[in-house]
Amino acid sequence: MKAIDLLRLGAKALLDRKVRSVLTIVGIMVGSAIILALVASTSGLSAGVQANIEKIGANTIIVRGAGGQFTSGATSSFQLSQQDLPQLKSIPDVISVTPIYSRGVSVSVGGQTVSGSLVGVDLSVLPELYKGIGLAEGSYPSPYDPTSAVIGNGIAFPVVASGNQLVDVNQAVSMKIGTSKTSLTFLVKGILAPYGSALFANVDEDIFVSLQAAQILLKTPYYSSIYVAVDSTDNVAAVQTAIQTLYGTQVNIINAGSIASSISAVTSQITVFLGSIGSVVLFVAAIGIANTMYVAVMERTREIGILKALGFKGAQIMGMFLTEAAITGVVGGVLGTGLGFILAYAMGGSLMFGGGGGFRFGGGSSAATPPPTPVFSPELIIFTLTFPVGMAILAGLYPAWRASKMNIVNALKYE
Amino acid sequence: MSRSAPGVQIIDVTKVYRVGHIDYPALRGVSLRIERGELTCIMGPSGSGKSTLLNIIGALDRATSGRVIIGGVDIRKLNEDQLALVRNRQVGFVYQSFNLIQRLTAIENVELPLIARGTPEKVRKDRSLKLLGAVGLASKRNKRPLELSGGEQQRVAIARALVTQPALVIADEPTGNLDSKSTREVLDYVVEVNRTSGTTFVIVTHNQEVAERTHRIISIRDGLIEKEQHLQRIDMYSKPSE
Repeated sequence: MKAIDLLRLGAKALLDRKVRSVLTIVGIMVGSAIILALVASTSGLSAGVQANIEKIGANTIIVRGAGGQFTSGATSSFQLSQQDLPQLKSIPDVISVTPIYSRGVSVSVGGQTVSGSLVGVDLSVLPELYKGIGLAEGSYPSPYDPTSAVIGNGIAFPVVASGNQLVDVNQAVSMKIGTSKTSLTFLVKGILAPYGSALFANVDEDIFVSLQAAQILLKTPYYSSIYVAVDSTDNVAAVQTAIQTLYGTQVNIINAGSIASSISAVTSQITVFLGSIGSVVLFVAAIGIANTMYVAVMERTREIGILKALGFKGAQIMGMFLTEAAITGVVGGVLGTGLGFILAYAMGGSLMFGGGGGFRFGGGSSAATPPPTPVFSPELIIFTLTFPVGMAILAGLYPAWRASKMNIVNALKYE
Repeated sequence: MSRSAPGVQIIDVTKVYRVGHIDYPALRGVSLRIERGELTCIMGPSGSGKSTLLNIIGALDRATSGRVIIGGVDIRKLNEDQLALVRNRQVGFVYQSFNLIQRLTAIENVELPLIARGTPEKVRKDRSLKLLGAVGLASKRNKRPLELSGGEQQRVAIARALVTQPALVIADEPTGNLDSKSTREVLDYVVEVNRTSGTTFVIVTHNQEVAERTHRIISIRDGLIEKEQHLQRIDMYSKPSE
């Protein structure tokens, strides 16, 4: 018996009971679509978070004054200042230390008010701090220029202006810090290319000025945070311990790498959880196939008798029924994979962590950032295409075997 | 296999059906020799065991004891796959209820035994169409069984039984569901095939008209052969076979 004949007879048998075939296929389709969509969205989310963190780099440690929250002593909240830099720098394996000032500001651009952050940092190390950052227009101001700034793409092209450019290079921007009345004005020397957000920073909505300028204007010796770069990821833990020894509970130490790994642990658990929900759906669909096939075998008892009388072997009869199951699985798997792609993009926006916890992971707090793109790994697609087929064949095995073992004389008498 | 070897030979065959703990003997020691090219008819009241005998002759069922030799091979020694091969290569079947597959067209039904064999599609179609033509249904080849009359359905079934050029055709009440006109048409065709190609036919029937057209009537009662009646000399190969 030829494969083409098996397929043709299988397809005819399925078409003969259209409604049942369609319902069976829908079951499989939904199962495989859900698996694909859920796994692709969560791995997309995970990849988005990872990318976000990688902009800071896994061997960067962020040190912040603990503020009032964690200090147990009578002294008021501890804050980091210039005198902390040498001792952080002297820790073995530390390459560089970068102090940062950061304040929330409301910026007036072209009659609109945009909220952002004024960030004072050594502008020459900006590309090391945020991997992949680049200028769209203009240039970086000199590190000693107290009146110039380089601004994030979202300040120049704010969402409130539907992405139209409101600020150009060599124009001035003025802003107010927090609720203060005094306004600060900078000359825009450069506009950054769209970057998205990095850990603790939404670069697109930042206004970067030199460290000195920030220090003078903010009238404070205290840094918001110090970025400590370690020579290799292997030494991050040791440096972290050294900082802990120096400051105890006076500082909060955050390591991008460890955040990345704990987040990826969480997302992979979510992936497994959601994937198993999809698998359960598929399993239920497989029971549906077994049921449909079983009924089909009973209904077609007489037909099986005829085929056996005409000289079809047991294995050929089994092959016919398994082919029907396999066709159901293939059609369900292919349609389900297609539907899964659509579903994954549709779900993109709803499957995100809230940004309320103090740091932003893209999208959560900013309408300008698109939802995470689902990630469809080849393994996942192969799985959602082949797993339903395997499951359908498995489900059809017993009914098909029963068909092949049928007694001809009894089968021919069956009404 | 020599030409003088019998088409079918069964020696002291019994068949016992067991239902629960009770045995029902359907055949109680039947011996029978059917020559190649013979047109034989089996008659008997219902429950006499005639259909059981027919099924054993056609390798559809296994005897409980005794020997069944089809085309020189004792089929009691064959496994299921080998039996399937015997059915496919050597035996054709015709039933009272036609036993066509409803979702397939006339020609597709005729093709089935060739599909089991793996015959290439072109060859298969040609042969099936030729057979449908021989039973006068070439123009209705794409009709489904329900669109055909009873007589036409039985002619499709006969075409299907003959498409593999079997040595033996068994028929269980082939005219039982047909009117007298269709009965005569079917019968004429069977007699013609028997005469021109030397195909052995074993027909179970209640119909005296059918029985009278055969070479021999075997009467069965209570699982035993009651009597045999030879009606005419086997007129095989009177025309050159195809």
